[in-house]
Amino acid sequence: MSASDAEASLAEDELAGLELVRETGGIHQSDFWKELDVSSRKGSRIAEKLEDLGLIEREDAVYNGHNTYFLAPTAKDLDFALLMAGDMLSPFIGEEEIDPNSDAFTQWLMNLAYEEY
Amino acid sequence: MSADGVVAREPAESVTLTDIHPHIQQMAFEDLLEDPVIQKYLHELVGPTGMPVAAAPPDGEVTDEELAEEMGLELNDVRRALFILYENDLASYRRVRDEDSGWLTYLWTFHYENIPENLEEEMHRLLDGLEQRRSYESDHQFYLCEVDSIRFEFEEAMEFGFECPECGSPLESMENSRLVEAMEWRIDQLRDELNVDREAEAEA
Repeated sequence: MSASDAEASLAEDELAGLELVRETGGIHQSDFWKELDVSSRKGSRIAEKLEDLGLIEREDAVYNGHNTYFLAPTAKDLDFALLMAGDMLSPFIGEEEIDPNSDAFTQWLMNLAYEEY
Repeated sequence: MSADGVVAREPAESVTLTDIHPHIQQMAFEDLLEDPVIQKYLHELVGPTGMPVAAAPPDGEVTDEELAEEMGLELNDVRRALFILYENDLASYRRVRDEDSGWLTYLWTFHYENIPENLEEEMHRLLDGLEQRRSYESDHQFYLCEVDSIRFEFEEAMEFGFECPECGSPLESMENSRLVEAMEWRIDQLRDELNVDREAEAEA
């Protein structure tokens, strides 16, 4: 099942949970169910389902002195366009070492400063 | 169309493209491949000759010979692209010995599910590069030869007596605040997107 199929199969409250994780960029489960205005048990079930479908990541966390989970979006939700400056991709891709003073990176920065910014 | 205006549905048989044309491999990871940044990323890795292979990953296992034949490519170009994908965790192979000929066959599987993690890593690397470069840009004063478009650090410019060593024209003090501001803008965007905690890093 592809990610978009998995998303289409979600119930309304599960979809709201997914949106919340994506909007916040990551949230503790103890805040998650309060924000969604559901019970903690219900919130836990929603988070579990989203994790099973590979739509979010769930890590053990301690928050305000309690054991909980941190719910984070998966890498595929990241905005990869941040690697671009104009139509140029990050020059570090395919390179072993990061050279912050390379000509290619200077060109990338010029694109960023004069095309995007 | 039926009488009440509802479009009749196709029978729900699961006939796929490969059932009809077994020689046409079904393409996988279409969601990912629609992203222009991901296409650019693959192009950067395998180059233009490898792009036909990288842009149309088949579902399931495939041999290099099959890919070359289907795409009308040189076997060497296909192999080169596959090994680049392999080095980037985007393809794997298993070797099978043909019992008749004794030759080894490589059966390849594409692993484009790893693309998002790779790009996440690249976003962290870009952030590192930006932060290092920002320090350099903020800590130095620059002089420019407007004729040759060459930039010199203050110390270099002084050694040359503030004259361009190429053409002899005077070096002018150069403002780089727009560059630094643009860097800070993208650094903030990346930190925000990657949940990099400014304070946690400062403490570490």
